[in-house]
Amino acid sequence: MSFELVVNGTRHTLDADPQTPLLWVIRDQVGLTGTKFSCGIGQCGACTLHVDGRAVRSCSVPAASAIGKPVMTIEGLSADGNHPIQIAWKELDAPQCGYCQSGMIMSTLALLRARPNPTDADIDAQITNACRCSTYHRIRQAIHLASKLMRPDLGERVDRGVR
Amino acid sequence: MTSSIDRREFLATIAAAQGAFVLGFWIPSRAEAQTKPGAVWYEEPATREINAWIVIAADDTVTIRIAQTELGQGVWTSNAMMVAEELQCDWSKVRPQYASANRDAREKAPEWTLNVPGTGAQDPSGGGVPTFGNRDRVGVSGIPDSLYRRMRTNAASSVKDGRYYLQLAGAEARERLLLAAAAMWNVPVSQLTAKNSVITHAASGRKTTYGALASRGADTPHPRPETITIKSPDQWTLMGTEQKNLDVPSKVTGQAVYGIDVRLPGMKWAAVKTCPVYGGDLKHYDFEAIRHMPGVRFAVQFPIPDPALTRGRIFSGGIAVVADSWYQAKTAIDKMPIEWDVPPVNAAFTTANMRESLLAALDRPGTVRASQGDVDTAFTNATRIVEATYSTPFLPRARMEPGNATVLVTNDRVDIWIGDQSPQETRFSASKITGIPETNVHLHLCHLGGGFGRNGNGPQAEHAIMIANAHRGTPIHMLWTREEDFIGTTYRAMGIAHLKAALDANGWPIAMDVRTAMQEGGFGPEASFHVTSRYHVANYRYSNHTTNFHVPVGTRRGVGQAAHEFYRESFMDELARAAGKDPYLYRRELLARTSLPYKQDMITALDMAAEMSGWGTPLPKGTARAIALEERGAEGDGMATISAMVHTVSISRDGKVKLERVDVAHETGFGLVNPLSVKKQIEGQITWFYNDAMHQACTIKDGRIVENNFHVFPLSRINEDPPVINIRFFPTKHWLVGMGHDRATSVQSAIGDAIFQITGKRLRDLPYGKHDLRWT
Repeated sequence: MSFELVVNGTRHTLDADPQTPLLWVIRDQVGLTGTKFSCGIGQCGACTLHVDGRAVRSCSVPAASAIGKPVMTIEGLSADGNHPIQIAWKELDAPQCGYCQSGMIMSTLALLRARPNPTDADIDAQITNACRCSTYHRIRQAIHLASKLMRPDLGERVDRGVR
Repeated sequence: MTSSIDRREFLATIAAAQGAFVLGFWIPSRAEAQTKPGAVWYEEPATREINAWIVIAADDTVTIRIAQTELGQGVWTSNAMMVAEELQCDWSKVRPQYASANRDAREKAPEWTLNVPGTGAQDPSGGGVPTFGNRDRVGVSGIPDSLYRRMRTNAASSVKDGRYYLQLAGAEARERLLLAAAAMWNVPVSQLTAKNSVITHAASGRKTTYGALASRGADTPHPRPETITIKSPDQWTLMGTEQKNLDVPSKVTGQAVYGIDVRLPGMKWAAVKTCPVYGGDLKHYDFEAIRHMPGVRFAVQFPIPDPALTRGRIFSGGIAVVADSWYQAKTAIDKMPIEWDVPPVNAAFTTANMRESLLAALDRPGTVRASQGDVDTAFTNATRIVEATYSTPFLPRARMEPGNATVLVTNDRVDIWIGDQSPQETRFSASKITGIPETNVHLHLCHLGGGFGRNGNGPQAEHAIMIANAHRGTPIHMLWTREEDFIGTTYRAMGIAHLKAALDANGWPIAMDVRTAMQEGGFGPEASFHVTSRYHVANYRYSNHTTNFHVPVGTRRGVGQAAHEFYRESFMDELARAAGKDPYLYRRELLARTSLPYKQDMITALDMAAEMSGWGTPLPKGTARAIALEERGAEGDGMATISAMVHTVSISRDGKVKLERVDVAHETGFGLVNPLSVKKQIEGQITWFYNDAMHQACTIKDGRIVENNFHVFPLSRINEDPPVINIRFFPTKHWLVGMGHDRATSVQSAIGDAIFQITGKRLRDLPYGKHDLRWT
């Protein structure tokens, strides 16, 4: 079976069962490995990416659900690693092992789109990804910093469709 | 660098390969396409190395080989800093790379790395007291005078053990570059200075760069390398400064390569199932039932990994299904009929009967580890006797990246792509399983998605090697599901401790009898109590009592220490409360009464943490402070790490616990290599131990681990991270023993004492979250 996905602005024709979880199609067919597998049951958020502008735990949705909608992974966040969220993450030296951080950053993008100036309570409620190294203290600071860096150019940086 | 995979090595692999992986399949353009920009493994340098740790390219790029594994603790940066400090190179041009475990099998360490300089833990000019540890493998017992010495990443020891020879490696290279410049200019080497990758002859104004000198440096031996010395902390310029971690940029773009991200041409994927009861094996499986499923290629049965390869631990036998993609392999194995051969004795274990066994063990004579004074007589003179029994559950590492390894076995060579905390042991396993000598085993090391206790304890590499060895010539990427990762991990042993103290009329302890029970083979079962109590008590006895269970126990962040500090510090709170004294001042007095070499450092830690926290100032109802000491090694005068923390905890009336604030007083010893990484370790371990204390436990039913994914084994999220963490450092005069695993153990006892203060309930059985914490 073949179907098409648009990932980070590039159209891919994929030969896979469209019921395969989106995560595995992204990692193994599209070949983008920044999105991580950890629990496989949508609990931890390591596999978070965006479908149609919304954060999705890609281990638990079929690839078919993303057909016709733009998919954005960590690799699509910026060309140079300098999206404001990435700048903030580097400034705070937020990652430790780093395995959860792609998902953490993609969840943060969703949060900042919904709430450009989030409170700590917003962060507690919306950032439900797990980090086993427990880098949360720096992640919280990085989210606040990213919020400051992003607000001027929000829309432009985050709304990407097919190029 | 055009390619991160060494193409020459790869072409050699292909030439040797049989079967599906044939010569000609690999073409350079494809290599480019498949090579990850973030790959970090060893590659043969285009220019000659200065020594085994350092390669300097003509453009001044300095490649520093790292023989420990980056798993979030910052070793990728701190190891490089130790080399660069002495090399005097431009830090902005440093590029870390994993050292070659294969070269380590073939080459001996330089003579000048073998002798530790200085006079021990209290000599600022020396190398401290490295321990290295034994590799615990048949045939390779004893450490390594192999090229990179100890490649293990464990026991918070990367800085402790490696610092002196990493500094020496940088110094040796610097001296040889200076000698090469002196010869080139025909001037005395004493007239030259090296700084920031530039060598200057001040008298003539001549300058040259490391890049320009690199090949001359490589050709210039040092006449007397044994005379090279290392800088003491007062001479450090890079070490001791906060440096952002060099791996971080790759971890915010998804470019960092973990073992799970390795992709090779012709690679097939393996999903496995192993017997959920340890010690069990495969009885029957029906591959024909799934053979037709999409992508499915073959199945490989594998036995219980040889315990000689897993530090004596007995895991389970199992079956792998190999397919064109992992999801196909996993889908197929989930549908395959499998029957297990389960040892009835092991299937009879439950948490309840294991707890009974530990309690029974406590009542049998144990191994007396420490005995001072006359404990029994002192108890007859007690004004009051206080007793408490504490318990801690089985705890897995539960790192975020499930176990995986990619292995290609050909007739005379093994290649393994893996994130690994013990590559020398994996090299040994590969040799034993395949019969191919260790000198032909190549590990391509990747970053780890969390470690927390040596992946090498678990059988991920052994599984993958056994599967790939059955299909030589085909690269096999084996990946565990989360549920398999809970079977393949080692656990911190479940433990029970009984502490009993005799108090005098003023509430001070005159005798203490400590008994702990843990599973045989649990790591660090004596830590914190052996030799002596850290708090003064004239009559003291400590015995430990072991019993045998089937769960493979081993290193897990903090090993036994974390549990034992919970027992010890909880009991100090109970004694202080029984004596009607302030738990901070009670501890302080009992430390002051000891003759421990580092007692003043422990007192300073308590005083500073108390002062930082506003100890004694009023708090709202439902909020309490608790203090505890954390130490490793403070029973003697060797290397140690000492800190104290005050935790401010609130509990709502409906029983919701919140760690509001943590005040940390932490010693620096003679110096911290990268204080930023130290802060990150402290911050992370606070919530790690909060998670342990509040939520985490694995229970056993019918011999199986019950909690095997994150819906039943909860991980703390950002909402449980304390809003305020204050960290203050104070200098001390010894080298530290490490940072990576037993900082913030105080969270455990502190929450317990806060619960007592707020609710009146004294809880001694972790995790607290399973108890009713409501109050009125």
